[in-house]
Amino acid sequence: MANTVVIGAGLSGLVAAIRLARAGRGVTLLTKGIGGLPLSQGTVDILGYAPDRVETPIQASASMPEAHPYRVLGPAAIAAGVAYVQELLGDRLVGSPERNVLLPTAVGSLRPTCLVPTSMTAGVVTGGIRYVLVGFRQLKDFYPLLCAGNLERQTTPDGQPIHARGIILDMPAVEDMADSNAIGYARSLDNPAYRIKLAAVIKPMLEDGEVVGFPAMVGEHDASAHRHLEQLLDHPVFEVPLPPPGVPGMRLNALLTGLAKEAGVRIVAGARVVTFESDGDRILSVGQATAGRIRQYAADTFVYAPGGFESGALNMDSYGTVTETLFDLPLHGLGPDLITAGEPADQALFRVGVGVDKEMRVVDPAGNAPYSNLYAAGGILAGAIRWSEKSGDGIALASAVTAADSILKGA
Amino acid sequence: MFEPDTYEHDLLNRASLDHCVKCTICETQCPVAAVTPLFSGPKYVGPQAERFRHGESVDHSLDYCSSCGICTHVCPQGVHIAELNSVARSAMKADHMPLRDQLISRTTLMGMTMTPLAPVANAVLRFKPALVAVEKVVGIHRNAAMPTAHVQTLVGWLRSRTAPKNPAPRGKLIFFHGCAQNYFEVETGIKTIEVLEHLGFEVIVPKQGCCGLPLQSNGIFDTARSWVRKLVAQLREAPQDLTIISCSTSCGGMLKHEANEILGVKDADLLEVGGRMRDVCEFLLEMYDNGDLDTSDWLPNELTVPYHAPCQLRGQNIGTPAVQLLELVPGLTVVESGAYCCGIAGTYGLKKEKYDIAMKVGKPVFDKVVAINEGVAACDSETCRWQIEQATSVPTVHPIAFIHQAMGLSKLPVSTGG
Repeated sequence: MANTVVIGAGLSGLVAAIRLARAGRGVTLLTKGIGGLPLSQGTVDILGYAPDRVETPIQASASMPEAHPYRVLGPAAIAAGVAYVQELLGDRLVGSPERNVLLPTAVGSLRPTCLVPTSMTAGVVTGGIRYVLVGFRQLKDFYPLLCAGNLERQTTPDGQPIHARGIILDMPAVEDMADSNAIGYARSLDNPAYRIKLAAVIKPMLEDGEVVGFPAMVGEHDASAHRHLEQLLDHPVFEVPLPPPGVPGMRLNALLTGLAKEAGVRIVAGARVVTFESDGDRILSVGQATAGRIRQYAADTFVYAPGGFESGALNMDSYGTVTETLFDLPLHGLGPDLITAGEPADQALFRVGVGVDKEMRVVDPAGNAPYSNLYAAGGILAGAIRWSEKSGDGIALASAVTAADSILKGA
Repeated sequence: MFEPDTYEHDLLNRASLDHCVKCTICETQCPVAAVTPLFSGPKYVGPQAERFRHGESVDHSLDYCSSCGICTHVCPQGVHIAELNSVARSAMKADHMPLRDQLISRTTLMGMTMTPLAPVANAVLRFKPALVAVEKVVGIHRNAAMPTAHVQTLVGWLRSRTAPKNPAPRGKLIFFHGCAQNYFEVETGIKTIEVLEHLGFEVIVPKQGCCGLPLQSNGIFDTARSWVRKLVAQLREAPQDLTIISCSTSCGGMLKHEANEILGVKDADLLEVGGRMRDVCEFLLEMYDNGDLDTSDWLPNELTVPYHAPCQLRGQNIGTPAVQLLELVPGLTVVESGAYCCGIAGTYGLKKEKYDIAMKVGKPVFDKVVAINEGVAACDSETCRWQIEQATSVPTVHPIAFIHQAMGLSKLPVSTGG
């Protein structure tokens, strides 16, 4: 059976693995941990800032600098990537890739994003919306009065007012617990009895027409928890993402990991891929540092989706030398002054990464492929500052689907 | 508290904690912190408390860590969270090691005592007043999942049987049976050997003692080191170029990485033996991947089996080879437990103060096993099998039992033959 090794269990690694396995390939996914999705907000950002706030992300992607992954991929590939995750997750993600929406953050700013989990859709900013934010004395990661105060100071993009107020409850996730975290609350909210108890406390405090915002912890596993809470309160309810790890990101990770296993992907987690074997321009196998030895995994094609600096796939030493740490791949975006005294969002260092051609095959700056069977996807790609552009999810999806399709076409 | 310049002291201050970016993924995946407020979670007692330890432990909730190792397994940054916490717990308990922990960690002693008295020992383990007395005096919970003693050990079986005379075209392998297969899980050991022989291997079983893992997980490090070193020397008395097969995930894992990473045994001999160690399903699946395992004559088995991948297997970072292997049996459907731990974590769930926590940790596994139950469940680790059986009353076997049956080697179907 034709087989592919995927390295990395983030959004791009999982999506590429699912697409390849569903097309009948044997897929082994190697990963150090359980991927970065639990640290995400559970939404799908395509392009939020370029550098001004973006309303139509696919259209705006064409205005990115030439070296940006979106220019390499093109609008059709972005749309295909986003469409694929919508196909995988069905009605759990709401929205259109043609249009961004604004969601309140935990500090009451307005964040542009594109596809939104069902549990967040009621929070999308509209003119005249009346929010009530609910916090808990025992939860240190969400301050409803701060959130509401900042929301009140803003308007919608077309100048309509936003109303917001906050409520603080005294209700731990587990009885007698002094200090509860979001995961603890999410596990309690998986229990319908806890939701009924909570709703009974809140309901008398609500006013007509208010939309109720909770910190994002309305159930870890029970997908019906959000709808149940809405019914109990008889008000629309939405979740506000908290600092990581985020429950919506954990849900997304669990869903995609489950789909990967269902599709027959072999997931081997817990150890870094540290070596590889090649013959001429072909990678033959990669070696994962399993307990006691390095285990080689052979394949005919490889998708490299390990993330960037944050996972150690890219490294900068104390002399300022940047390297890709597994294959020692040629990097794009190198030059003097990678770090300057300017704004964090403008640092050239963050644009350094691995370059790819239109098929997502790894290429050097001259456009030559060091290996004919090595594809890259996601955060390792050069040319984007994902966190300030809010482009990471879109890049991950578009590059993963493109890389998978290139492998399937070539096979 | 450890002296400066000792391995433990160094480990307590080791650098991997500087890789912790406080992402908290380990806290969200910890099976113990999910069910009890008595344990604040691996990051809090580990990379965070670590900075204040200065050679001793500062957070006594550490005692509630089960050492399942899931924190290290899921860490995206390579922090040795479980290893740091195991060493810190050993430091914490060093001055007041409970008698109970001394007893339950000496598995060979238990096996040697119980085997000649097997019927008596098993009767005692089913006699409620005796168990209540044991709980009160020693601190082992009255409902804890204890092993069943057997009249015959694996070594006894090897001595009494007629060894196969067939040629062994695939060469030789070493079988590491550990205490479990020798005393308590003799059937699993026999089936593993018979499967390997059926495939055309000659199986060498050198004399061998305990790997010291129960001592290590109870924090009794010095004795654990001497036991594992002795075992390594015994395994090296067999030809030193042969692959070593284990069907005990915990003991195999001890030699593969825990003796090195937790006990700090850096002997070249240990690393060499650890590098040759293979879990039996890992070994068979690798054969299959290389085109060396012919499954065309495997007998069908129309059955859906709930399977639990034990935490000790996950710690070896080899994926879940039993799932792919069992799916090669025609008709067999495998449903994974989807949970990280059954709660027992070696000897953790035996302890009276931890029994309830262990049962809560294992609840998702038990629920899945009961929901799927068609008469038998599968799990690679012996202590987990005892725990799952105790909690669900569903007979639970090593995956090798299904392979043994598929090869036509079993007289009885797996669900009734054990």
